[in-house]
Amino acid sequence: MAAIFGPAANLAVKLAMITLLATTLGALTLWVLWPRTDYARNLQTAVSQPVPFSHQHHVAGLGLDCRFCHAAVEVSADAGLPPTYTCMTCHSQVWTNASLLAPVRHSLAANIPLVWHQVTDLPDYVYFNHSIHIAKGVGCESCHGDVASMPMTYKVKPLTMEFCLDCHRNPGPQLRPKSALYDTHWQRTPATPSPAALLAAYHVPDRNLTDCSLCHR
Amino acid sequence: MPPLNPAADSLWRSLEEAARDPAFLSRAAQEFPGLTASLDSGVDRRQVIRLMGAALMMAAVAGCDSRFGADLVPAVRTPPNIIPALPNFYATAHVVGGYAFGVVVKHLMGRPVQVQGNPHHPASLGALDVFAQAQLLDFYDPDRASGVSVGGEPTDRQALEASLRDQRAQLLTRHGAGLRVLTGTVTSHTLRARIEALLTQYPNARWTQWEPLSRTGSRRGAVLAYGRPVEVIAHLDAVDVLVSIDGDLLSTNPGRLHYARDFAGRRNPARGGSMSRVYAVESTPTLLGAVADHRIVAGPARLRQIMAALAQGLLNDPAPVSDPHPERAPWLPAMLEDLRNARGRALIHVGADQPAELHALAHRLNEALGGRGRTFDLIDEVAPPAAGEQAQTLEDLSSDMQDGKVAHLLILESNPLFTAPAAWEFAAALKRVPFSIALARSPDETASGTTWYVPQVHEWETWSDARAYDGTATILQPQALPLYGGMSAHDLLGLYLTQEAVSAEEAVQATWRKHFAGDFAGAWRDAVASGVVPGTASPSIDVPLLPASGIEPLPPTTQQLTVLFRADPSLWDGRYANNPWLQELPRPLTKIVWDNPLLIAPKLARALQLANGDLAQLTVGDRLAVAPVWLMPGQAPDCVTAFLGSGRRAAGSIGNGHGSDFYPLTGPLTGAGGSSSATVSLRKFAGSAALASTEHHNLLLETPAEILRHGTLAQFSADPHFAANAAPAPRLYHREPSGPAAWGMSIDLNACIGCNACTIACQAENNIAVVGKEQVIAQREMHWLRVDRYYAGEADAPESFFQPVMCMHCEEAPCELVCPVGATVHDAEGLNVMVYNRCVGTRFCSNNCPYKVRRFNFKGYAREQLRPPQSWNPDVTVRARGVMEKCSYCLQRIAEARIEADRDNRPLGEVKTACQSACPTQAITFGNLNDPASPVAQRKQSPLNFAMLESQGTRPRTTYEAVVRNPHPGIQATLVDESP
Repeated sequence: MAAIFGPAANLAVKLAMITLLATTLGALTLWVLWPRTDYARNLQTAVSQPVPFSHQHHVAGLGLDCRFCHAAVEVSADAGLPPTYTCMTCHSQVWTNASLLAPVRHSLAANIPLVWHQVTDLPDYVYFNHSIHIAKGVGCESCHGDVASMPMTYKVKPLTMEFCLDCHRNPGPQLRPKSALYDTHWQRTPATPSPAALLAAYHVPDRNLTDCSLCHR
Repeated sequence: MPPLNPAADSLWRSLEEAARDPAFLSRAAQEFPGLTASLDSGVDRRQVIRLMGAALMMAAVAGCDSRFGADLVPAVRTPPNIIPALPNFYATAHVVGGYAFGVVVKHLMGRPVQVQGNPHHPASLGALDVFAQAQLLDFYDPDRASGVSVGGEPTDRQALEASLRDQRAQLLTRHGAGLRVLTGTVTSHTLRARIEALLTQYPNARWTQWEPLSRTGSRRGAVLAYGRPVEVIAHLDAVDVLVSIDGDLLSTNPGRLHYARDFAGRRNPARGGSMSRVYAVESTPTLLGAVADHRIVAGPARLRQIMAALAQGLLNDPAPVSDPHPERAPWLPAMLEDLRNARGRALIHVGADQPAELHALAHRLNEALGGRGRTFDLIDEVAPPAAGEQAQTLEDLSSDMQDGKVAHLLILESNPLFTAPAAWEFAAALKRVPFSIALARSPDETASGTTWYVPQVHEWETWSDARAYDGTATILQPQALPLYGGMSAHDLLGLYLTQEAVSAEEAVQATWRKHFAGDFAGAWRDAVASGVVPGTASPSIDVPLLPASGIEPLPPTTQQLTVLFRADPSLWDGRYANNPWLQELPRPLTKIVWDNPLLIAPKLARALQLANGDLAQLTVGDRLAVAPVWLMPGQAPDCVTAFLGSGRRAAGSIGNGHGSDFYPLTGPLTGAGGSSSATVSLRKFAGSAALASTEHHNLLLETPAEILRHGTLAQFSADPHFAANAAPAPRLYHREPSGPAAWGMSIDLNACIGCNACTIACQAENNIAVVGKEQVIAQREMHWLRVDRYYAGEADAPESFFQPVMCMHCEEAPCELVCPVGATVHDAEGLNVMVYNRCVGTRFCSNNCPYKVRRFNFKGYAREQLRPPQSWNPDVTVRARGVMEKCSYCLQRIAEARIEADRDNRPLGEVKTACQSACPTQAITFGNLNDPASPVAQRKQSPLNFAMLESQGTRPRTTYEAVVRNPHPGIQATLVDESP
């Protein structure tokens, strides 16, 4: 009886097995590594907006405080976005005919809100509160990066659970003096109080900051 | 069914459990009864592999969401006082049957998200009943969306206004002849003023106030006794001996929340002060009867004889009537002795469903007991009918319509085509009215019969005012612009009046401009903001009792069987039928959801060979209904209780077709609320219906003392610690949560009246989904907080107890040890937390929970809810399919308090859970056990404090205070009025 499989079949089977193994390993590797890439985490990618608003120009250039627009950051869970009215406090006086600002003027005239696109998105199931982080000395930059240098805003930190826990396990090094909370260029200097001193100054409570119930509910 | 002879000291929830039915017990012992059957549904191996493949693919697809997040839409101009993610609160009131209950609506970014009680309002005192809380869903109800229609065809408001202009011209020339206005009970000063203006302008018009659950018995009783329709304000905090004859003080009375608070204040001997003694004589169990010291089961006919016997014993002058069967009431001397000894501290209360003569007699007895000014006060009627000849009853209106005397009928917020007794033939009469308008929130039964239908705005969408049981007025302010358009009653009435149109706001302001002397703007703002208009509570009036000759003898009754038509505890008169929270709310005593079977005594059921769910035919006079029956322990055998409000035909997508409509059987003589006087018969009908009752769900098959402890005041006096736990069970693990706070809860079972306010509050706060009747039958209801109702003793006259049960937050939590993925863990403050995104749905935790408080999402219930996303509480995760969930001690509220305290560097403030703030009797206390001054730490010091299932060694953070009852030592706690 003639052989069912010719000698070439050996090669085919080997190739098939190698391909299968490679695909499986590749898929597993991709599965593990892909979510950790900057691309999957939307890092370093400017998000298109209805109006190309530049934080660099408004904050670094003109010296606006973060809280001028994100007014609720000290009292509420949400920092808040500025209503069209806030934009128009200045832009009814300056750049009144700029075509870039046409959507803003239209929003006010027609009473239709501007629709911005979210840049920093937390994972689901997490309840983040801005006000407590500001009150305890965590600056904007710690999560949002050096926004004052961004012509178009993009995400800098991964904002994964691991990222949150790194700080919640050891918050001291992330704290900064009150005067530097809204300064996104700030760097720790030898004159800066030590992490332990800042922890004490801000009365960071001695509760377990890694309890699930702190952020998940 | 096996014979019913529960052991004397047993606690039982259902008759099957009481009978130790082996089939029932083996089913109850399963964690997920019926699950194996549903898994056995013939899915073969290949099918499983296909499904797994599909699931894998879909998981991959589900992972591919858009790279960037959602859109962010800030307002063009932020309204004042609105800060993102911070709540605003605006006072208003919820109006049930005309009477107001003060509420505060919580808003987030301008959206109503929750209803809370108004602590300044006398009918609320900060608590709420189920109806007011469930208004959130009524407000967002998508079935509300619809426009003006004429003859069933959509049209617009201009057409309505044009048509009404023509009508107005015609009516003016006839001075309103043929014009009729039909409303519910009106306590609103503004609406009343507008209707009176209309009646002045059209002098031949007539006004009918129709309330299907009428309080006419008490109104006419007051007229018999005092010559005018006064209303009684009870002071239960001053009542030492309360005798309730079919009483409604805790269930349907307009002052129920206030009364519940006062009542509960006298029920826990561990709080100091003397304990009251409560006798409830009733035919069908009520909430007051369930928590009374003595509950006496007496048929409807016997109630009036017992009242007569009371009169004989308490009045000096010869009583008009006497008890023909004194031998049936051997307990009466004890009750009389208590009443006589408590002169000035006793109150006899008769329920609104009872006839006028009983009320009149009760007024005489209360005066004789010297209670005026101490245990009760009299005030003027809060909602009087129209003056003089312009008032008309619905029955007269109906016959006028039949006779063709009505040319124009305006129906404001009333649904007579559903609620009127069939004998009045309102539907046929309505066909003879050439022009009729129904103003209703959604096209209901009545709208289908009128020529015009006008959508009505929700009470949160218009200005108005309303009065509470004691006369206190509240200005109702709009909480939002109308979601679906529509008109208010004020607007519609304005189209009939010749003077210049005014908005509802101007109309309400005009009403109160007279009341506020001086600075109107300031006074108005204060009144609107606080939800109470100061100085509007009715003063008590000094009106003498009429001479006894004015009191008619009690009418004799010879009925073999009586039907008691009662408000559905969750649906009221049917107006809440389209509210899924209320439909799925286990009724306090039967624990039935989505249905309203006839309640009959177990004894009657035996005689008729009926079991739970069997169909029976109920005949009243020449009308009949076929409905399932439910065996109600403690029901008198010579009566049938029919809950009104189910069986709606045009309530909406939620409410249509659930349960049976008993309105057609209601008698013309007594109105819907009372009992029928026609000949009644009940007989077995072929077949049975599936009923969903949760009474046997999550059954705890432990010894009674492990579950709920109770005793008498005598026991308590002898040993205050009679109910305390023995030495704590040994601990397997030594977990000492180290956090700065230790959260705990104490529930006073003496105060719990089983009203369900906590269950709905929890559902609203924690985004708990409704699952539907079939899923409830499969024991998959999602309520985190259940109120267990236990019976003790004989099925014919058991003692009843309520026990709210939610996650106990055990320090040694058995659920945590068995979770393979660490989805349920302990935090440093002693909370047993659920991490939803870790949960993979093994359900091991639920299996290992001795209290049966965990709920598993078998289906994606939350996705199936007919409610817009903005109606959910944004502070709480909406759980998906396959995830376990349970009470979190309102973790979001704790987190909020924690953040506020830490942010401002001050000590942790008070945290109130949703159930706690809704509870009318303050039975639930929650707080930080590490703070010895906190109310919860103090309540845990009570000698009555005990832990449920203490022998399990779970060390629950929630503990209970044992029930203490104060029975007369000479007689039994529960008695049946029958021939010896």
